[in-house]
Amino acid sequence: MGHITVGMSGGVDSAVAASILIEQGHEVEGLFMKNWEEESEYCSAEKDYKDALQVCDILEIPLRSVNFAKEYWDRVFQNFLDEYKSGRTPNPDILCNTEIKFKEFLHYAIDLGADKIATGHYVRNKEVDGKVQLLKGLDPGKDQSYFLYGLNQQQISNALFPIGELEKSNVRDKAHNLGFDNFNKKDSVGICFIGERDFKEFLQQYIPAQPGIMVKSDGTKVGEHDGLMFYTLGQRKGLGIGGKSDGEGPWYVLNKDLTNNELIVGQGHDHTGLYQKCLTASGLHWISEKAPTIENLNAKIRYRAKDAPCKITDINHKTISIKFEEPRFAIAPGQSVVFYDGDVCLGGAVIDKAYN
Amino acid sequence: MMYFDHSATTPVHPDVLALMNSIQSTIYGNPSSIHSLGRKARSIIENSRKQIAKAINAKPSQIVFTSGGTEANNQVFWSMIHQEKKHVLASSIEHPAVLQVLSKLSSFGIEHDLIPVNSKGEMSISRLDSKLLNNTGLVSVMLANNEVGTIQAIKNMVEMLRDKNIKVHTDAVQCLGKMPVDVKNLNVDFLSLSAHKFYGPKGIGILYFKNKKTMSPFMVGGGQESGLRAGTENIASIAGMGLASEIATTQFENHISHLRDLESQFKSGLSSFFQHAIFNGNQNNKLPGLLNISFPGFRSDILLAKLDRAGIAVSSGSACGAGDIKPSPVLSAMGLEDTINISTLRFSFGPTNTSREIDFLLSELQTNLSN
Repeated sequence: MGHITVGMSGGVDSAVAASILIEQGHEVEGLFMKNWEEESEYCSAEKDYKDALQVCDILEIPLRSVNFAKEYWDRVFQNFLDEYKSGRTPNPDILCNTEIKFKEFLHYAIDLGADKIATGHYVRNKEVDGKVQLLKGLDPGKDQSYFLYGLNQQQISNALFPIGELEKSNVRDKAHNLGFDNFNKKDSVGICFIGERDFKEFLQQYIPAQPGIMVKSDGTKVGEHDGLMFYTLGQRKGLGIGGKSDGEGPWYVLNKDLTNNELIVGQGHDHTGLYQKCLTASGLHWISEKAPTIENLNAKIRYRAKDAPCKITDINHKTISIKFEEPRFAIAPGQSVVFYDGDVCLGGAVIDKAYN
Repeated sequence: MMYFDHSATTPVHPDVLALMNSIQSTIYGNPSSIHSLGRKARSIIENSRKQIAKAINAKPSQIVFTSGGTEANNQVFWSMIHQEKKHVLASSIEHPAVLQVLSKLSSFGIEHDLIPVNSKGEMSISRLDSKLLNNTGLVSVMLANNEVGTIQAIKNMVEMLRDKNIKVHTDAVQCLGKMPVDVKNLNVDFLSLSAHKFYGPKGIGILYFKNKKTMSPFMVGGGQESGLRAGTENIASIAGMGLASEIATTQFENHISHLRDLESQFKSGLSSFFQHAIFNGNQNNKLPGLLNISFPGFRSDILLAKLDRAGIAVSSGSACGAGDIKPSPVLSAMGLEDTINISTLRFSFGPTNTSREIDFLLSELQTNLSN
């Protein structure tokens, strides 16, 4: 039974993770991480810290605190802005895991004397033939392996995921029984540093918006847009050109033309412009350190997407091209493609382009 | 747990605890009541007032009980809104219970300026003089600093301000039992004390005032404390503070010589294995038993956590907001750069600490400072 430092967010998942480790006989300490220097109605660090404290008081473990705001800004937020400037749709939570939680936080915890760290992620890990594997969490609705595909062997082997085998409802029940005030705290959704605030407003503080026109694939103008960065491929809501009862269905974002600052849109969920079979991605990472040779490879193109069968058509050190068996809806550059062999998360890469 | 954080708070002295327990369980009368139970409660309060007055060389009528040092400070500063001269000067290393009050008061028409300190944490009288304005009505400088222990030349400051019609307040919460606190000698107009810093209970303190005419109540209500602090009195705590102040003065010589012994044992022990320690504060004129030490190359939060795990309690810079460690504003005001600032721990010893405990502290430090 080692000494474990649990990353306490103030949420119910990490709280229950800590309680499970204590039940298992580990010596446990909590560590609260602050990654964003802002106290406003949107940024709930103070409230989250108090929630984490309440949990640690019940569990009778110390709660320490560390600030990685500078590291987060330099290594996660700058990339987030760069990606939006390039018209892509980044996923900062993935970088936060590889660069902050499982790097800075891990090092800090080990400096503090921890043998391992633990988090409240819905994933599992296990050792097979001298290598550690990352597996999906058992609650199919909560699996978070998509966000952790960038971890390496050292990062995964130094981590425990105590709630990976639980269902969210069990986690909440356990928190309730233990008397944690956060047992029914709502799950954080979206990007942590944006919180509840208006996404457009937030982004405009950092990147000037360049309004332009919306066109159909044939070039006909159908409306105006506020700036390409505000739209994601496959987006339907908020285009401002809905409601035309011409029988062809709602409008979707098909593509972004950065050169001409035009948003390309099309009508109907079945529009062929929304579906692609192939993609190329870069920043390729394999958790096992080598490419898989299996036949039945699956891939997810965004967090909530279903795993879909695909084949690798081209691969080199850092880039990969794949072809899905069936076309996929709205493959968005900047999001990650994550590979699976059944429940085993193999790795992934950041999507650069999609095509047929 | 080995406790080396007496500047944060102290354990209650056993005699004080016994007295408080007995009062708490038997004396339940309201001191404002005329009957015998009320009179009994009232006499306990007045006895305590005498004890405290004696400890700081004041008259009992110059003492008002408050909920602690913070309230005592607030009472002084908030009274400024009734004064004609609405400018306040304070040192840049005052406790938040001074600085935050002054910030808050700016929206009530009270302006303030801060007087800088030198690298030892001393405020110079000439700097103070140069910051005086025509409408400066109050100067507030702590008698000794809570983080580094540097003692300020309050008496000289008061002399310089004499004939200028400027009131002087000193926050002396760190001082009783560790240095002479004599209000006549200091000649200040106001002085704050808090019982839990000298082995008394938490939640009780006093404000000393030279002249009642300069006072106005901060808490208003039933007219207790001669109209200066309303609210039914916390009799047990008041009694505890009285006894604690008596013990602090009768045990004064023993206490400080014990603290000095522990301090020199610690200093010489530390220098045998760690030569890069930086001792912050004026080492020739500071509170005994308080050492503020920077360990260049080591983060204070990590050292603190490791010592905590070994059962040792010390403190680091001020914890803020969501609990993470920020550079101490006091050390910053003394010109310490951030990398050294966040490498700093405060050790503050007390009467129950032993030479063996210091040995254990040193061995744990040696382990953690050797890699």
